[in-house]
Amino acid sequence: MGASIYKNKKLIWVFLLPAFLFMLVYLYYPFVQNILNSFQHIKYLGTAGGEWNTPWYSNYVKLLGDAKMKTALKNTAVTIAATILGQVGIALLLALLVSNIKAGAGFFRTVYFFPIVISATALGLLFNLVFLYDKGMVNQFLQFAGYLDRESNQLIDWKAKYAMFTMLTPVIWQYVGFYFVILLTGLSGIPADLYEAATIDGGSKWQQVRFITLPLLVNSIGTCVILAVTGALKVFDLPWTMFVNGMSGTWLTGTYMYSKVYSDVDYASAIAVVIVILGVLLSAAANAVFKQKDDYQV
Amino acid sequence: MKRKIGPGYAVIYAFLSIWALTTIFPLAWSVMNSFKDKKRIYSNSFSLPVGDAFSLDNYRNIFANYNILRAYRNSFIISGTVAAAVILFSGMAAYILCRYTFRTKALLTLLLYAGMMFPIYSTIIPVMRMQAAWGIVNSPSVAKNLLSVILPQIAGNMSFAIIVLSGYIRTLPVELEEAAFLEGCNMFQTYFRVVFPLCKPSMVTVGIFSFLWSYNDLFTQMFFLRTKENWAITILLNNIAAKEGVNYGALFSSVTLIVIPVLVVYMFLNKYIIKGMTVGAVKG
Amino acid sequence: MMKKKMLLVLAGVTASMAISAAPALAAGVTLNVTTTYAGEDSNAQNYKDSVAAWEEESGNKVEDSSATSDEAFKSRIITDFEAGSEPDVLFFFNGVDSNQFVEQGKVVSVDEIREVYPDYAANMKDDLLGASPVDGVNYSVPVNGYWEGMFVNKEVLEAAGVEVPTAETTWDEFLAACETIKGAGYTPIAASLQEIPHYWFEYAIYNFQSAETHNTVPKSVDDEYGKAWVDGLNDIKALYEAGYFPENTLTATDAETFQLFTGDKAAFLIDGSWKIGGIAEAVDDIENFTVVNVPGKGDRKTTDEIGGLSMGYYITRKAWDDEEKRDAAVSFVSYMTSDEVVSKFAGVSATALKEGAAPDTSEFNALQVDAIAYTASFTGISPAVQDNLSAAAREPIFADMASIVNGDVDAADAVAAVLEANAE
Repeated sequence: MGASIYKNKKLIWVFLLPAFLFMLVYLYYPFVQNILNSFQHIKYLGTAGGEWNTPWYSNYVKLLGDAKMKTALKNTAVTIAATILGQVGIALLLALLVSNIKAGAGFFRTVYFFPIVISATALGLLFNLVFLYDKGMVNQFLQFAGYLDRESNQLIDWKAKYAMFTMLTPVIWQYVGFYFVILLTGLSGIPADLYEAATIDGGSKWQQVRFITLPLLVNSIGTCVILAVTGALKVFDLPWTMFVNGMSGTWLTGTYMYSKVYSDVDYASAIAVVIVILGVLLSAAANAVFKQKDDYQV
Repeated sequence: MKRKIGPGYAVIYAFLSIWALTTIFPLAWSVMNSFKDKKRIYSNSFSLPVGDAFSLDNYRNIFANYNILRAYRNSFIISGTVAAAVILFSGMAAYILCRYTFRTKALLTLLLYAGMMFPIYSTIIPVMRMQAAWGIVNSPSVAKNLLSVILPQIAGNMSFAIIVLSGYIRTLPVELEEAAFLEGCNMFQTYFRVVFPLCKPSMVTVGIFSFLWSYNDLFTQMFFLRTKENWAITILLNNIAAKEGVNYGALFSSVTLIVIPVLVVYMFLNKYIIKGMTVGAVKG
Repeated sequence: MMKKKMLLVLAGVTASMAISAAPALAAGVTLNVTTTYAGEDSNAQNYKDSVAAWEEESGNKVEDSSATSDEAFKSRIITDFEAGSEPDVLFFFNGVDSNQFVEQGKVVSVDEIREVYPDYAANMKDDLLGASPVDGVNYSVPVNGYWEGMFVNKEVLEAAGVEVPTAETTWDEFLAACETIKGAGYTPIAASLQEIPHYWFEYAIYNFQSAETHNTVPKSVDDEYGKAWVDGLNDIKALYEAGYFPENTLTATDAETFQLFTGDKAAFLIDGSWKIGGIAEAVDDIENFTVVNVPGKGDRKTTDEIGGLSMGYYITRKAWDDEEKRDAAVSFVSYMTSDEVVSKFAGVSATALKEGAAPDTSEFNALQVDAIAYTASFTGISPAVQDNLSAAAREPIFADMASIVNGDVDAADAVAAVLEANAE
């Protein structure tokens, strides 16, 4: 039968218009301003554009030679890999496990959501205390376990030696719950009768996951990967509370842009343009990888 | 079929419980510290607030000096409206982007990804100028001020919502829509009678996150909600906690007061995410 | 004691005169007012009370949109001026942060107001009002100022066998004290060079200048001011290399190093007058803490300090041109900057009052009492020179202090980068 019902396209704009009109007015138009700003000299965040830069693309030339931007891009690449494997991976595992148990499923669904609702300020403070140098939770534990010498109060400066690890652990941990909920939603969309059929055919739990759940979850996983990639490019609040001013070489594209938002407005605009371009390219790539035919037949 | 309750399940539960501990701990820690005298928080944040250390001062200060119920009301008006509008508009757009092919589709998809990427710092100034020109910023009317937060937040959550909903709609079998088509339904009827109800779990997810992000979006609130009558809960509590050398007592009582209503909303809605499980496919 | 009472009476009289001098008002005007007296600002309650008192007295209403001051708040104010939605009265910074709306003529100068209201800000010393960096003209009327000083944890000093520094302590004596404290197993100086190096920068370069010359941005890295900046930065580097800052000063947050100080692990903390409240809140025994002069060298006497009045009340052009609001705005600012109200707000900080402030000291804690003595010791006072730098210009020294002290970036190069960014 195919998709003949989708032939009549006369009125589709009615459905598209409200969403894209909102975005046009509140996102695309302002961002065009941002692009223009990146070619101008802007004194304070909030002032109108002044003169054009000479040459007009000078901010982008500066970006190319900016060692901090290079660090930020490198770290962000690491973060993207870590979020896809860590965040989405753990979330997928948790979602599959929770959907296969009965007792306590509601409880886990609820508590996994907790980290998303707590503000970055509070979480940053918590993790600062967890990784605190003197009397921090981790260092105290390592002294207690005998890994660090207690007598001489031997300590590890987590934010200097293992900076990326110390920064990424909370960042990844915080948003696992987010992907967990999205994947759980995807799981709920898989018709139960498919599993019934598989059970009758004698398929094991693992086979069900392998041959029914995962293929049907590809769309949701793809969504998660896109969200994870874009999220990694943007993230700044929690890293900033813990690693202010990119300490120990921990700049990310998000934190680097934030550091310039008030102090160097037009340069921050240029960084924002780079972030958006990278985000669109990587999202499109992720979409191509996870592309499934838009409709499926049983 | 036999139910297997064996070592496999023990491992599953052990793993799930360990993760649960890591997610419960920070919230419990925040709530615990909110009952502590502010002097003791930084020096001894992992101790229990018992005996001398127990204090209600952090809350007493907030409830005595601020109209917290009005702020909750404003927050729920703003975030509830945002979530509802996002669900309505993003669902319609996602449906078209999933099911129809048309010339500008690829472009719209790219714009969609871009829509998720724009930092708020890049867009806030033009938005503020626009809204000031429309007279909804700094207005004596509370409704207008709330609107000046609602509108940009609807736009800000739209891309995310469309992308998540598209992922879900793609998984839905088209047979139900074909059946509706054969019965003579037009596009509107097909969407609102067939697709929309099927999408309920995903709509709820999108609603939850739109609500949450709107609720927590301090930056937009700082720009547009200026006087006490207009304050939403996040900005009210931020104004209490922000200060030279952070007042940790106020910080944690704020976290607690901000988080609780959101968790109540989440717990109430999260059962709908699972309800879709029973929807069966129609044989083609 | 007698003198203080006299002052109070005087203050009361001038205040009531200032108020009665304002012409009769058309009752019922609503003023939009934005200040930074919000949240837990120590004067937030004073502000609320004073506004209520003024409303009662004048029959007008204040629509208050005060917020805690941060970068987002500053942007909001700037955008407001550009979009024409600025308030009628604004309490805001008088340094470079105000340049934009001063340049655009969106606020009214004190002189222009005095042409119509000759008694406006008559109780203030004009040279302390806080002239605009744009044109040297006074636009705002200040309330209370700030100073920066060296807070001391006496218990740590006692345990290390070191005397509390005095107004005579020299830089070399200070270094010797640090060495002794370090030898006793304590941290001499609580500071996060990664997050808040600002206070140390200010005093370190002050040591190579004097109260008269300190508030000057160098023209080049090679002129006398430029050299002072480089020498000052190298002094901070020397302190870092000597191990006088916390071991993890390049990764610790300011909250963490502040905790070292209040937790009896570090001896000295250079910070602002606003920190007194934070210390009182963090410790049980405020008597254990005091504030003293920052030891000096060269032309800078130990008693030459950093301080000034960095904020004030502006009346916007919009309100001034509004027949209905003009009187109300002038009356409001006059009330909020009267001797009586300023004395209430001032606490231990400086004011621009001709008669001096007469704060109620009966409720002061030990640290506040010491602070009054500290301010009385000043022989010279200079504003913080960093307030003359644009935010972009501050970055090469403040965001990158870690690279300067660990040798990755040469101090002279950092100063050159600052000056280049500031010239833009």
